[in-house]
Amino acid sequence: MSVNGASASSATGQVVLSASNLTKRFGRREAVADVSFDVRSGEVFGFLGPNGAGKTTTIRMLVGLARPDRGSVRIRGLDLASHFEEAMAHVGCIVEAPDLYRYLTGRENLLHFARMLDSGAEGRIEELAALVALSERLDDRVSTYSLGMRQRLGIAQALLGNPDILILDEPANGLDPAGIREIRHLVRSLARERGISVFVSSHLLSEIELMCDRVAIIHRGRTLAAAPVADLLARVSSDRLLVRAVPAARAAEVIGRFGEVEPVQGVGDDRDAADATNRQALEISARVPPERVPELLRALVAAGLDVHSIERPEASLEDIFLEVTGGQTV
Amino acid sequence: MRFPSLVENEMLKIAKQRRFRVVVLILVALIGLIVYGSFRARERFHEKNWHVEAQERMAWLQGRIRDSRTPPTALRWFRFELARLQYHLDRDLDPDAISGPLFARAFANHASYLLLPLLAIVFASDIVSAEFAQGTIKLLLTRPVGRAWVLASKLAALMLAITLTVLLGGLVAYLFGGVAFGYRGWDAPILTGFRANGQGVDPSSIRALALWKDAVLAYGLAWFASLCVGAIALLTSVVLRSTAAAMGTMVAALIAGSIVPRLAPSWEAQKFLFVTALPLPDYYSGSPPPIPGLTVGFAVAVLAAWAAAAVAAAFWIFTRRDVLA
Repeated sequence: MSVNGASASSATGQVVLSASNLTKRFGRREAVADVSFDVRSGEVFGFLGPNGAGKTTTIRMLVGLARPDRGSVRIRGLDLASHFEEAMAHVGCIVEAPDLYRYLTGRENLLHFARMLDSGAEGRIEELAALVALSERLDDRVSTYSLGMRQRLGIAQALLGNPDILILDEPANGLDPAGIREIRHLVRSLARERGISVFVSSHLLSEIELMCDRVAIIHRGRTLAAAPVADLLARVSSDRLLVRAVPAARAAEVIGRFGEVEPVQGVGDDRDAADATNRQALEISARVPPERVPELLRALVAAGLDVHSIERPEASLEDIFLEVTGGQTV
Repeated sequence: MRFPSLVENEMLKIAKQRRFRVVVLILVALIGLIVYGSFRARERFHEKNWHVEAQERMAWLQGRIRDSRTPPTALRWFRFELARLQYHLDRDLDPDAISGPLFARAFANHASYLLLPLLAIVFASDIVSAEFAQGTIKLLLTRPVGRAWVLASKLAALMLAITLTVLLGGLVAYLFGGVAFGYRGWDAPILTGFRANGQGVDPSSIRALALWKDAVLAYGLAWFASLCVGAIALLTSVVLRSTAAAMGTMVAALIAGSIVPRLAPSWEAQKFLFVTALPLPDYYSGSPPPIPGLTVGFAVAVLAAWAAAAVAAAFWIFTRRDVLA
């Protein structure tokens, strides 16, 4: 994936959506605190965070469903609070689930939302149905649609007004792998071929990694400065390796020649446990740069060790966040 | 953004949901039942020769009208009754029997304080809360249309649906009533405007009116009452965001409204409650008001005030409140 190329070109792009210092309180709890980011034209912007981090609250403020206690949202330079109608004319969105009128057909749903737009939207229904591969089921009731079909109908709806920015909240949620692939493909082609900026939220790093050019991470209501996805991945424990080999003590010795071995989990000062490392295949965590892994494997085998497994663990969002903030808890 | 398109959207949603068909079904079934009941009741009483009886009464009335000793107030009544009997004889209609038009007219009175408001509530309690329940509110309010316009379109569609329901009720009552009692008699003269004064009925306020004019007035009042109930139910739908809760609240209010005047007839402040004001056609056609001072004009004003306040509150809340999960 040409992540670097895409982000390089979008770095100079115009700002389509700008959030500054968004803050939302529920009672005394700050659900979202000082969230700021810019989405530029033609880029796929990821909004990554674990469930409950404040993603949906932020999105609700971006589309005017909730009012920020502090901060503002600008869409194409228009302030959302004071110019709601003009600003929202540039936005298509799906918040949380693709909820449409289930007792209406797909076509009736699209007509319904086309009537809420200024002009010509009704004429785009056929084209958009074809784009999201729903032409054949367009006259069936939405209650007979699968989740994936509803998600696609939701995207067609969001595109009716020829938006400059598409806001999708967890578009992969509940979809099977094929459905996720379809959505991902659709999102990328919308950005590449139509120049539409896409704002995608997700709690899965892998999802964001495959879809997005830049990413902002939200954690406990706070975000870090948005960065290209590739940069983020490069910074995050990319050389951490987990090895299971017997006997562990000798394995650790061998691995130590290639990189710094981290203390084995659950061993500590316990003598019995340390003893056990020689009999059992315990996990040894070490920082080994990727290019030295083949060499390490050969060394382990040459030393007569039984290698049970070797893997690169995916960092959890928590890890990433702590890593990027330099271990400071927010 | 074109407002008529928004109203079209809301009407489409009302029409496509099952509740609209249920309302039509309720009206048809209920009116059919009432017609059948009154038809069976009439069969038992009316087997006499009404032609002869009516002619005898007319002769007697003519005698009294010629009699110089008859007081002028009675004279007015006798002239009216004579004209009424003549009208029915000319058309070969039993003057004492119910006709299709009369049945339709009477339906306005009986439907105005419970049935029609109830049907208005069925539409109104769901019109905002359903969008929350389905999650579609998130789409509806993220389109380039201000929230006030969205609610205004819903209000307009609600008023339209209620209007259709009242019209449909009148139409079905006339059609079914006609099958049982005959379709003719719309221009039969009837008396209206009975108003109590200190001693009894104040004769100066009584007027003779063609039945169709009277029916238009009665349905107009029933329609107005239903619109006001719809407006109040819209507020409950906006505030509670749950169809069941909104409907329950409104139905409880209606039922309380029909109990309170019976349990506490001397409590005068109840005339400021919207539920007490609901039987507008009754107040208009001259049933003695349950509370002193509760005239048609007063009841219309009370309902209008409640409806205006409810709509204002609904807009205030709807345009300001955050839409959260």
